[in-house]
Amino acid sequence: MKLKYVILAGLAVAIGIVAAVTLLQSEDKRVKKQFRLLSDWALKDKEENLLATARRAQNIGALFAEKVEFNTHLAPFSGTLTPEEISGYAARSRSLFSTFDLKFYDFRIQFPERGTAEVNLTARAKGKMLNGELLNETHEVECRLTKVENRWLFSRFEVVEVLKK
Amino acid sequence: MSIKDNILRFFFPALTWKLLARVSLIALFSYLFFGYFCIPLHIEGISMEPNYHDGSFNFCWRLRYLFSTPQRHDVVAVRFAGDRVMLLKRVVAFEGEQVEFREGKLLLNGRELNEPYVRNPCDWDLSPRIVRKDSIYVIGDNRNMPIENHVFGNAPIRRIVGVPLW
Repeated sequence: MKLKYVILAGLAVAIGIVAAVTLLQSEDKRVKKQFRLLSDWALKDKEENLLATARRAQNIGALFAEKVEFNTHLAPFSGTLTPEEISGYAARSRSLFSTFDLKFYDFRIQFPERGTAEVNLTARAKGKMLNGELLNETHEVECRLTKVENRWLFSRFEVVEVLKK
Repeated sequence: MSIKDNILRFFFPALTWKLLARVSLIALFSYLFFGYFCIPLHIEGISMEPNYHDGSFNFCWRLRYLFSTPQRHDVVAVRFAGDRVMLLKRVVAFEGEQVEFREGKLLLNGRELNEPYVRNPCDWDLSPRIVRKDSIYVIGDNRNMPIENHVFGNAPIRRIVGVPLW
């Protein structure tokens, strides 16, 4: 009789662990998906018409929370911005490039509290400006995403200074 | 057995448990070796020219500092968040040492450092600074660019992943 209960309890614990791991994994995937979307919308690999540029900028803005804190030593990004301001900035920045590619690597995702994800990663931006100048920037970034109405939205970016002069 | 049979047997061996075990072992070894100990590197950028060329291929040997610490003039790989993207730089100074650039010359504790690997002269000026605790000071070999465009400085020791294999 006792053995039956022990087996049942063991099974319940195993199911709980599997469920928790599965749920956490799916949250991981959802968080990563936001970065993939940001990468997709930021990409510029050919000539775009104004409508496509505006749509991409608007889609980028939709990935961000109401107030987004940028804490970086890259001058134009610092401060608190709204999604509209980010859309405008994205549109202006992308228009300076003939090609632009933003990619993310080495994700380390943590959930310090419910509805908050902290992500440490490497971000790499490559592109060619209209004046022919090449961009090739890599930075380690700490990001925070907040869950709003079941969607993970970017709410904070901090660039980690890897080499300090 | 004819030569043709031997060649066929070499390229299309009989599917036996022994073969499967051998293939699995090789796959596991390759995964661990090239995934954790000897990571393939594709070098991008010109910061280590002319010693490491843009577009060249190398490996990052991660066990180099298992029982030792980086030495002056070593070329090291410095990681960002992980080891997918890394910086390749030259070690020039250690914790507590004073680093300075004066008219393109790298001064270490006030004395010019001999750097035979630097081929492109520069006119950099950088005020004296002390290398931070638990850090080393790393710089690229190619200084033929404005100082603000060159990524260099204090790298925490924990960020040193390994060295290029050649």
